[in-house]
Amino acid sequence: MVSVAFINPLSDEGEIIVRELGDFGRVLSDNDDLMQIVTGSRSQEISDDSFIPRNYIDLAIKRIEWFVKKKNDRNFDNNQYEFLFNTEILKFDVIAFYLLCQAVGVKYGPNSRESRVMVESQGKLIEYRLEKLPKNIREELVTNILNSLISSTHIKWTFFEDLISTKKLKLQDLILDQGEIILDKDDFLERFSHKIHGRKPGKMYEALIGDRIKELVMIKMVMQNTENYILKVGEKSDREIEPNPILLELADKISDVLATSVRSYGIGGSYSGSVKASALNPKAFPPCVKKVMEGMKSGGRNDAIIMFLTPFISYARLYPSVFSENITKQISDIDPSLLIVQNEVLPLIFGAAERCTPPLFEDQPQDKVNLNAKLGFGMHQNPDLKNEGETIWYTPMSCEKVKIHLPSLCKPDENCKKIGNPLSYYNMMIWKVKKEAKTESATDNTE
Amino acid sequence: MVKIEYLTPASPEERKRYYREEWDIKQVPDFIAHSIQEREFGFDHVGRGPNDRYKVFRTPDLLKRFLKVRTPFAAYCSVAFYDKPRRRDKWTKAELVFDVDAKDIPIRTCECESVCEICLNEAKEIVCGIIDTLKEDLGLNNIHIVYSGRGYHARVLDDDVTHINSDVRSQIVKYLVGAEVPENEYSLNYEKVSYEHFVIPFGYPNVFTERVKYSILHLNEHSNLDEVNKKLLKDVLKNRHLIEDNNWGLFKNKIGPLRYKKVVNGIASMNMSLVDAKVSIDLKRILRLPSSLHSMVSMKCTEVKNIETFDPFKEAVPKFVYERKE
Repeated sequence: MVSVAFINPLSDEGEIIVRELGDFGRVLSDNDDLMQIVTGSRSQEISDDSFIPRNYIDLAIKRIEWFVKKKNDRNFDNNQYEFLFNTEILKFDVIAFYLLCQAVGVKYGPNSRESRVMVESQGKLIEYRLEKLPKNIREELVTNILNSLISSTHIKWTFFEDLISTKKLKLQDLILDQGEIILDKDDFLERFSHKIHGRKPGKMYEALIGDRIKELVMIKMVMQNTENYILKVGEKSDREIEPNPILLELADKISDVLATSVRSYGIGGSYSGSVKASALNPKAFPPCVKKVMEGMKSGGRNDAIIMFLTPFISYARLYPSVFSENITKQISDIDPSLLIVQNEVLPLIFGAAERCTPPLFEDQPQDKVNLNAKLGFGMHQNPDLKNEGETIWYTPMSCEKVKIHLPSLCKPDENCKKIGNPLSYYNMMIWKVKKEAKTESATDNTE
Repeated sequence: MVKIEYLTPASPEERKRYYREEWDIKQVPDFIAHSIQEREFGFDHVGRGPNDRYKVFRTPDLLKRFLKVRTPFAAYCSVAFYDKPRRRDKWTKAELVFDVDAKDIPIRTCECESVCEICLNEAKEIVCGIIDTLKEDLGLNNIHIVYSGRGYHARVLDDDVTHINSDVRSQIVKYLVGAEVPENEYSLNYEKVSYEHFVIPFGYPNVFTERVKYSILHLNEHSNLDEVNKKLLKDVLKNRHLIEDNNWGLFKNKIGPLRYKKVVNGIASMNMSLVDAKVSIDLKRILRLPSSLHSMVSMKCTEVKNIETFDPFKEAVPKFVYERKE
């Protein structure tokens, strides 16, 4: 039987394994047992020493590397990481998991890119581990883990508040009735059989809920618990003295893996890593921005210009890679004399405001102050360096927020499917334009 | 019958008469009166928006005195509860609110400029659908409906949801309005099974079916749906009687599966405007105080005891309006 800790390292079994580790210093020492399991794993590629983790820290890094490369590297070879799916690696894997969480927790905290990657990698690892198990073992394992995570047979949807809040689960994914989530087959049949006509209720259960939703819920719960554990570690380390240097070193290595991935593939398939600040190209604007640029009618006019367009235009022009770099900047860090703001950013925004019906600033001149505030220059009429920092330079709204605040703006085109923020759309289009230009010039040269 | 379009803004004299002669503190619903100390109040004295905020009343009597003396253009109270409401400090919880404004409904069968009896009734239909889903799917029952003067507020006070954050609230809105087309293909033991939303009589697919049905039955030849051209709209209108009898399969066949997909995609994207989602996700919003006067249209913001039978033109028109007509 496969141990539940192989899927959920935060289980009681997982905790026992951690307690049995003993001396923490061992995590850096070469471990023959680990290397033997790795090299003995079926289909494992062993042609290069670098494929084989020698100790717990190496294994921890391999876990992250697997996730990042699998996601981004077209030449990814799963055979280099087969050991991650060998159940014999259990004890080493659980320790590596805890090491990763603690390293990320003490150095970066829960709201970091490193934390997000750690949590996502755990989710993906579970998915692939389950896929490799025989159906009956997989079902039993999922049921056991779910039973340990959910004590009641009647689960209110609010039990998954954290998962819903962090968008790991969507309410629409779940079958809800009278406030409860329906996972159990008999419960489903009792509640809905009489309503279903012309279809087999049992088959409908298997399709709509069955193992698919149970696995989804279980995986997302483990991911959420991983995130909560990183948060707990972070809070604890804030109160305590010097964190263990081994953890800090591991944290740096994790960061290196991610940095290498950004350099090689761009973050998560996004295009923002490679886009540098340059003159705006309105043809690359997403449909929602183009719509606001044409001018809005009275409803939603203020939000569209102030909350939506101002951050978009300013970031697209000055700091298009804000989401990949994840470093907070002020406008003057990029445009020290504010000349670009005055000559390129504001004219575009004022132009869109002018095209509104009625023109925004004629109608509500006080909104110039709000616009200025969104650029980080406080509640004043004009941008002035002496006021910078009084307010925050607002980052562009995500597509999700646009749908909530300005639903009439969201008219997605084909390219919108791949992005979650209008700024990413812009970066992607700029990247495509550049790529096409390069291809054209190469073709020209050959003719 | 008093038509809302005939209702002009209330004069300062009429406001005075309303608060001093007709309004009674007992008309403030218990769900607000009992928590008055924990809420922030806001007022608009001149008709330019609620700029007199951060007001606190320790007892209903103090609120009564304020309203009778100041007779404001509009009165508001927070959906949020605070330990220190005067500074909006120490937020403890907030009602979950859905605001359906008749003026902003994306599909209206009337062609009025502002609001009228027809679109107010349509707002009521939408609110009824939302309440059904809140109860049947989300299991929420402590729901208060308020006629706001131009639409309806559904205010939920169940302990299960008053502490939830904006992200969860935004997901609830999407679920209630049917903002996403449900999946229609499911994997089952290495094969694909197809279930359109209308064959699933429970859960989100059923909510979506109800919302699509409402929208299709309220479309007219001037309606605008993303990716739906005039010809397709005409075909939808021609065949929508099939949906009235829940003959969805026939309707889909008549329209054609690909064109049907376009119609439901268009409706899903429009559904997000059925409610003002900004209100639902705002944890510190102030909403018009039930029992107060909506001076712009001279109607009373009124708690609705029975939404099925409620008629704003009978129950929310202040006396001075009738006297004005005479």
